[in-house]
Amino acid sequence: MRTLAVAFVVVALLAMAGTEGMAQREQVRIGISLPLTGPASASGKAAEAGYRLALDEINKAGGVLGRRLQIFIEDDGNLPAKAVPIFTKFVTVDRVHAITGIFGSAVGVSIVGPAKLHEPLIAMLGAASPLVERGFEGYKYLFHYHPWAYHNMEAVFSFMEFVRTGTGASTIAMLYEDGPFGSAGIGDTRAELIKRGFDVPFMESFKSGSGDFTALLSRAKRHPVDVLFWIGFDADALPIAVQSREVGFKPRLIFGTPASWPVGYEGNPVARDVAGMAGWTSASPLPASKEFVKKYQAKYGGLTEEYMAPMGFVTLTTLAAAMNKAGTTDRDRVAAELARTDADTPLGKLRFKPSRLSPSVYQGFDSDLWMVFQFREGRRVPVWPKSMAAGPLAWRWR
Amino acid sequence: MELFLQTLANALIQSGTYALASAGLALAVGVLHIVNFAHGEFLMVGAFVAYWLSVLAGIDPIASLVPAGAVMFAASGAIYHASIRRVLLAPELNALLLTFGIGITLQNLAILVFGATPRVVHTAYQLTVVTLGPVSVGVAPLVTLVVSVTLLAGMYAVLYRTGVGKSIRAVAQNRTGAHLVGLDVDRIYLLTFGIASALAAIAGSMVLVRIGASPHMGFGFVLKAFAIIVMAGLGNLTGVLWASLVLATAEAFVRTYVPGGGGAAEAVFFLLIFFTLVWRSWRTA
Repeated sequence: MRTLAVAFVVVALLAMAGTEGMAQREQVRIGISLPLTGPASASGKAAEAGYRLALDEINKAGGVLGRRLQIFIEDDGNLPAKAVPIFTKFVTVDRVHAITGIFGSAVGVSIVGPAKLHEPLIAMLGAASPLVERGFEGYKYLFHYHPWAYHNMEAVFSFMEFVRTGTGASTIAMLYEDGPFGSAGIGDTRAELIKRGFDVPFMESFKSGSGDFTALLSRAKRHPVDVLFWIGFDADALPIAVQSREVGFKPRLIFGTPASWPVGYEGNPVARDVAGMAGWTSASPLPASKEFVKKYQAKYGGLTEEYMAPMGFVTLTTLAAAMNKAGTTDRDRVAAELARTDADTPLGKLRFKPSRLSPSVYQGFDSDLWMVFQFREGRRVPVWPKSMAAGPLAWRWR
Repeated sequence: MELFLQTLANALIQSGTYALASAGLALAVGVLHIVNFAHGEFLMVGAFVAYWLSVLAGIDPIASLVPAGAVMFAASGAIYHASIRRVLLAPELNALLLTFGIGITLQNLAILVFGATPRVVHTAYQLTVVTLGPVSVGVAPLVTLVVSVTLLAGMYAVLYRTGVGKSIRAVAQNRTGAHLVGLDVDRIYLLTFGIASALAAIAGSMVLVRIGASPHMGFGFVLKAFAIIVMAGLGNLTGVLWASLVLATAEAFVRTYVPGGGGAAEAVFFLLIFFTLVWRSWRTA
C-alpha cells in the first residue's frame, strides 16, 4: 500500500514536470544577453528597462502567437568570456526562438562562431564595430538594429558641416581615447574631415579615466580651435570640460561622443552648451517617442536619457510583431517578416536593408538615428538635425 | 615658453593630488609592511562619501574631507580587525592577495549600490581660475596641493614630534623590539592603518571636484601611488612629495612634448619604477 502511494506520488510529480515542461516549450522564448554589471552596465540596464517595458506591452496585447512571451535576461558583463556560454545556453538549454541584446562589439565578435554553429535568429541591439558586420558575412539570420561605426562618423561629419554652414567654423582639435572605441578608424576620420575642408591642427590620444587633461589641452590651446571634438567615455566628460577652463583653452564648441554621460553632469554649469551625440533624448518630438516616454514614466516613475532604453523596447516589439505576422516561430518565416518591418519607432523610422559590408546581414538604423544635443539648464536640448531640433546651436562655449 | 611654464604649473598642481593619494600608502607600507592593494578603493570610498554629502546636504567636497576621512578611519578599523591583523605575520603574498580581494569587493559593492556611471558634483569654484602671467590653474587643484602639503607636513610633525609618532616609528623599525619595550603593537598597527585609510579617503574627496566619483576610479591612483612610494623609498614620507613631483612632471612633459604622448604618458610610472629599482640595485651592488 505504502509502495503504491509512493509510486503514485512519483508518477504524479513526473506528469506535472512533463506538463510544465510542455507548457514552457509551448511558450515563445527569447534570450537577451546584456551587460548588467561592469563599466557598460548603465547602457545594459537601460536596455533591460526597455525590454521589460516591451514585454509588458506585448503580453498585455495578447503575447506572441496567442501565448505569453517569455524572456531570459542574462548578464554578460560586456565580456566575451561570459557572453559565449550564455549564447550557447540560450540555444542548447533554454532553446529560445530568438536571441537579442548583445551590446558591445567585442561580445558581438565573440558570438560569431557559436552563431554560425547553431544559426539562431539574432536581433542585435548594439555592437557598432564593422568587425562584427564582417564576422557575420553570409549569415542569413542577423538583424542589426544599431548603426555601425561608419554611420556614427557620417553623422559626425554631417553635424560638423552644419556647424560650418551656420558659424563659419573650420578648425577642429581632436582628442580620442586610445582603446578600440576611440582609436578605431581615427586616422580615416581625420582624413575625411580634412577632405571636407576642415583644418585639424591637433589630434592626440589619451587614456580614458586618467583624469588629467591639462597637458593635452594646454597644447591644443596653441591653435585657434573652433571645435574640440573628443571621443571617450563618461569618466572623461567632467575633466575635459573643467580642465579646459583651468588652462584657459577656449574652443567655441566642445563636442563629445561618449556612450553615456556622468550622473549630475546636466545640472553642472561647466556642462553648459557642451554638445553630445545621442540616438535619442526624452525631448524628442517624434509621436512614438512621446508615447514611449509616457509608458516609461508610468512603469518606472521617472525619465531616462539612455537611448538603449528605447532601443531595447524597439528590438523586442518588432521581433514579437514579426513572429505574430509570420504566425509561427519558424526562423526563416520570422526573418522574412522582420525584413519587411516598416515601423515608426521612438528612434525614428525603422526599415531593414542589406548591410553595406555584409549584404546578407539586415541593417536597421543608420546615420539618421543620431542627433546632437547641448546641455542647457539641466536638460539635453536637441540642436541637430533641424527636424529634431528643439533650439538653436549655442556657439562660443566658454 | 608659455607652453613650458604652463606644463610646469600643470605638473606642480597634479603632484599635489598624487602626493595626497600616495601618503597613506607610504604609511601603510612603511609601518605595517603590507602592500595595500585596496588603497585606491579607500580613495573611491572617500570620493563617494564627499559626493553624497554634497548631493544630500549641500556640503562642499573640501569641507567633506574631515567626514570622509572619519568614515574611512572607522571602516578601516573594522577591516583591520576582520582581516588585516590576521595576515601581518604571514608571508607578504597573503597580505597582497587579501588587500586585492578587499579592493575588488569594495569596487563591486560600489557598482551594485551606486551603479557604474561616474557621478559629478557642482561647486562654486569649479569654474574659477587663478592666472599668473601666461599661466593659469584651477582653484580646486590648487587647494588640493595646499591640503596635500599641509597634511604631509602635519603627518611629519606627528611622526617626529609626538609620542604617538615615536611609537609608530619604533614599530616600523622593529616590531619585536617595540613589543618588548611595552608598546601595544596591535593598537599602533590599527591606528596607522586607520590614518593611512583616512588619508586615502581625503584624497578621494579632493579629486571629486575635478574628476567625479566612480567605482573604477581607484585603480589608476593606486598604480601611481606604488610608483611614488617605490621612488621615495618605503616608509619615506618626505620622499613622497618630491617623488610625486617627479612623476607628475614626467607625465606632463611626455603629454606635452612627445608625439602621441597623450596615451603613452600612462606608461611613465612603469618606467620610473623600473629605473628606480635598477638604479638602486646598481648602487648597492
